[in-house]
Amino acid sequence: MVNPSVPFTDERLPNGLRLVIAEDHLAPVVAVNIWYAVGSKNEVPGKTGFAHLFEHVMFQGSRNVKKAEHIALVQAAGGTINGTTWLDRTNYFETLPSNQLELALWLEADRMGTLLDALSQDNLDNQRAVVKNEKRSSYDNRPYGSWSEKLQAHLYPEGHPYHHPTIGSMEDLDAASLEDVSAFFRTYYAPNNAVLAVVGDVDPAQVRAWTQHYFGGIPANPSIPPVGDMTLQPTLGAEVRETVTDQVPLPRIYFGFRAPVMGDRRLDALEVAMQILAGGKGSRLDRRLVRDDQIAQDVVAFVLGFVGGGSIASGWATVKPGVSLERVEAAYLEELDRLTREPVTDDELARAKALIETEELGALSRVEERADRLAMNATLFDDPALIDTMLARYLAVTPEAIRAVAADVFRADNRLVLTYLPANGSTEEAAG
Amino acid sequence: MSEPTVIATRPTPGQPRPYDFPQFERATLGNGLRVITAQMPGRPLVTASLILRNGAADDAPAVAGAISLAARALSEGTQRYDAVALVEATERLGAGLHADAGWDAATVSVEVPVARLEPALELLAELAAHPTFPVREVDRLREERLNDLLQARAEPRRRVDEAFIGTIYQPSSPYHQPSGGLAGTVATLDVERLSAAWQRGFDPARMTLILAGDLAGAGGRGAVAIAESLLGGWTASPGAAAIGGPVASGSVIDAVTIRLFDRPGSVQTEIRVGHVGVPRRIDGYAALSVMGAILGGLFNSRLNMKLREEKGYTYGASAGFDPRRGAGPFSARVAVNTEVTVPALVDLLAELDRIRQEPVTPAELAGARDFLVGVFPLRFETPGPVVGALGGIVVHDLPDDELATYRGRIEAVTAGDVQDTAEARIHPDRAAIVMVGDAARITAELETAAIGPVEVVRDEESTETAS
Repeated sequence: MVNPSVPFTDERLPNGLRLVIAEDHLAPVVAVNIWYAVGSKNEVPGKTGFAHLFEHVMFQGSRNVKKAEHIALVQAAGGTINGTTWLDRTNYFETLPSNQLELALWLEADRMGTLLDALSQDNLDNQRAVVKNEKRSSYDNRPYGSWSEKLQAHLYPEGHPYHHPTIGSMEDLDAASLEDVSAFFRTYYAPNNAVLAVVGDVDPAQVRAWTQHYFGGIPANPSIPPVGDMTLQPTLGAEVRETVTDQVPLPRIYFGFRAPVMGDRRLDALEVAMQILAGGKGSRLDRRLVRDDQIAQDVVAFVLGFVGGGSIASGWATVKPGVSLERVEAAYLEELDRLTREPVTDDELARAKALIETEELGALSRVEERADRLAMNATLFDDPALIDTMLARYLAVTPEAIRAVAADVFRADNRLVLTYLPANGSTEEAAG
Repeated sequence: MSEPTVIATRPTPGQPRPYDFPQFERATLGNGLRVITAQMPGRPLVTASLILRNGAADDAPAVAGAISLAARALSEGTQRYDAVALVEATERLGAGLHADAGWDAATVSVEVPVARLEPALELLAELAAHPTFPVREVDRLREERLNDLLQARAEPRRRVDEAFIGTIYQPSSPYHQPSGGLAGTVATLDVERLSAAWQRGFDPARMTLILAGDLAGAGGRGAVAIAESLLGGWTASPGAAAIGGPVASGSVIDAVTIRLFDRPGSVQTEIRVGHVGVPRRIDGYAALSVMGAILGGLFNSRLNMKLREEKGYTYGASAGFDPRRGAGPFSARVAVNTEVTVPALVDLLAELDRIRQEPVTPAELAGARDFLVGVFPLRFETPGPVVGALGGIVVHDLPDDELATYRGRIEAVTAGDVQDTAEARIHPDRAAIVMVGDAARITAELETAAIGPVEVVRDEESTETAS
C-alpha cells in the first residue's frame, strides 16, 4: 500500500505569516487555505458565538473589496470557497483554476489587512441576522438539535474554553457590537497568528513572491493574548445523565466521554476503536444493535478531536419503536465495555486499517484536503510534516493500545448519557 | 502598531492551463454489456460503477420505493456470501461497496486501490448478479425505512420537500412521492417485490460498467478483460422488462396554491416555491444552467443576495431544476425566521418575476458563465466525479462529446437566452407555495397578503386518518 507523502516547503514572512507550499501539477487547480489560530475557545463569557459571527463579517468586504464581492470574484474565477469556525480555529479556503491563484492571495491579504475599512453597523446587523438563522436552521429547528451544545456543556466544566458551542447564544449574538468586532480583528487577525497553505499547480517561487507582495505590508500583532486555562481532569468523576423532551418521533440515546487530546497516540487508537465499533455494517455496534437484536434504528460512534485539555468521544443509538431505552443503552454500553476487557481480533483491526488507508488515500488526493491538513498541523502542532505521519500512526495501533484507551475512556465515572424522548410521551408505532 | 499597507489593484488572471475532461474509451462485452474506461494517471484510488437503467421512475406507484429498497438489500446476502461475510470481504480489500437507486438508474459502485481492483469487482459482480434478498433482512430494512419516514416527518426540511412534490405532481406520477416511497407503499414491499424490481433491470444490453482512475496499475489483464471475465457471462434475467419509457410527470397545479403544514413552535418556516420543471434532455440546457446559477445557484445569486445578504432573513436561499428522464421539479428553497415568513415570500416571488421580466446584467451573465466554465476542471480532480459525469451520459442518452462541448455551450449563452428560458421555464402564476411552520403565527398575515388561497394542514388530521 502506498504511504502518502506530501512534499512541501515551510517558511515565514518577516511579519510572522507562515507560508506552506506543496507543488502538485496533476490537475490545473490550486487550493488556498488560511488558518487563524483563533476559535470559540478564545471567546470570553458574554461573547459566545463571536468567532463564528466574525467569520461571517470577513465576507462583508474590505478596503478594496465590496460587500459579498469576495465570494463573487472567486466564483466568477471558477472557484469554490468557504470558511469554518471551530473550537480551536477559524479557516478560510478557496480552490481555483491554477491561473487564478493571485486573485485569491490578493483577496485574503486585503481582508487580513483592512477588514475594518469596510465594517459597518449595517453589515454587522445583517450577518448577525444570518447567523441567528443559521442557528435556527442547524440547531433550534431540528430534531435532537441541541445535543452537541449539551455534550460540550456537560463534558467541559463552566469556565472551560470548550464549555460553550461555536454557534453561541442568541443573547450573546444580540450583544455583539462594532467595537467587539474591531477589537477581535485587531487582536487575532494578524499575520503572525495565521498559516497560509497553498497546494497544487503552482510555481513555489512565484507563490513566495506574491505572498510577500500582498501580505508583506500587514503588521504583526506582538501581543496576542493566550487562551484561557485549558486544563481538565481526564475523567468526569461521576456519571452525568440528562433527559430532554423534544419534537422527535423516536427516542435517541447520546453518549459522551472525555478523551485524550489530539496528538496523543491514545486518541489515534480511540479513532480506530470507533471504526471497529460503528464504522459501517461490519462493525460491532451495527451488527449487535441493528442487525442481530434489531433494537436500534441506527448507531454512531466518533471522536471530536481537540488540542486543549481533552477531546470528546461520542455516539448515539436511535431506539426503535416499542423497544425499551434501558435495553438499548445496556447493549451499547456492553459493547464499549467489551473493548476495555478483550483485545480486538486481528481481522477486525486489519479491516479497520484497510478502510482507514483507503479513506486517507482518497482524502489526500484532493488539493483542498491537503491544504487544510498542512495548515492544521502547522497551526495546532507547529509541524506541517505531521501530514505524512497520520496514516502511519493509525497503522501502528495495536489491539492492546485499543484496549488500554478504551479502559481509560469508557468508564462509568467518565460517562454522559443524554436521552431524547418524544414530546408526546409515547413512541409512535411504525407501520409494519 | 503600524498601519497596514495592501495592494489596491486587483490582479488579473494568468493564462489558464488547458484542461480536457479525461479521455474515455468504450468497449462492449460479449453479452452486450458496455464498458467505459477513463485513464487518470496518478489516481491510484479507482472508482467503478455498474449502472442499470432501472430507477425509481420505473417503480409502479403502488410499490414506490421498491428499487430503492432492493438496491439497499443487495448487500444483505448473495449466493456466495451472507451479509456479514460480504462486508468483511469488502473491508479486507479496503474497499467501499455501495448500491443505491435514483430516479433513472440503480448503481452498484466500488472505490478501491487499483491493486485490488479485480477482487473488488468480483464482489461488485456477485452483489449485482446473485442477490438472495433474505426475508429476515428485507423485513428489517423495510421496518428501518418506515422508521426513517417517521423521522422525516419531524425534520422540517424533509417534510417540506415531501409535501412539495406531493402537492405539484399528479398522483399517478412517480415523482408525486419520494424515490424511496412513502409508508403506504413501503409497507407492501416484500422479497418478491424487491426481487422483481431488481430483475426488471437486469439485462446486460442495458447495463454499463464505468471505471476511472490509474487503471494502468490494475495488473496484466486490463480493466476490460477483467470485466469480460466477471460480467461477460451474464444473461438477461427472465424478469427483465421493457422499462425506460416516458415518465408521467403531469402537474395538478394551474394557479398559485399555498399549503401551510402546521408545526407548532417552529422558530423557522421552511418554504418551497415552484412547479413541475423540465426533463434533462431539452434543447437549451446550457441556458437553463446559466439562468439557474443567476437566480439561485451562485452565492451572489439574486435570491441569496436579496434574502440573505440584504435582508438577513435566512442562512441561505437557492433555486434550481432537478433534471431527470421525465420533468423533475423546479423549486426555490429557503428557511426563514418565523416572523419574516410573509415578507420573505413576497421577496422570493418578486425575484421569480424579475428574472423573467428583465434581462440579466452583463456582470451577472459573465459571473455565471465564468463560474460554470472555470469550475469544470475542479469538479473532475478525482475519479469519483468523472464516473458520475460519464454515468449521466449513459443514463440520459447524451452524446459522447457532451462533456467536451460543455464549456463552449455555456460560453455561448446570451442574456436573451437567459430571459427566454426564464420566461419559458419559470411560472410564478402557477406556482405551488408549500411551507412547514408555526401556522398560528403566520396564517393571518399570509391571508392578508392575498398571494393566493391558503390551506392549512394540521397534524391531528393526518394522525386521525392514519390511526
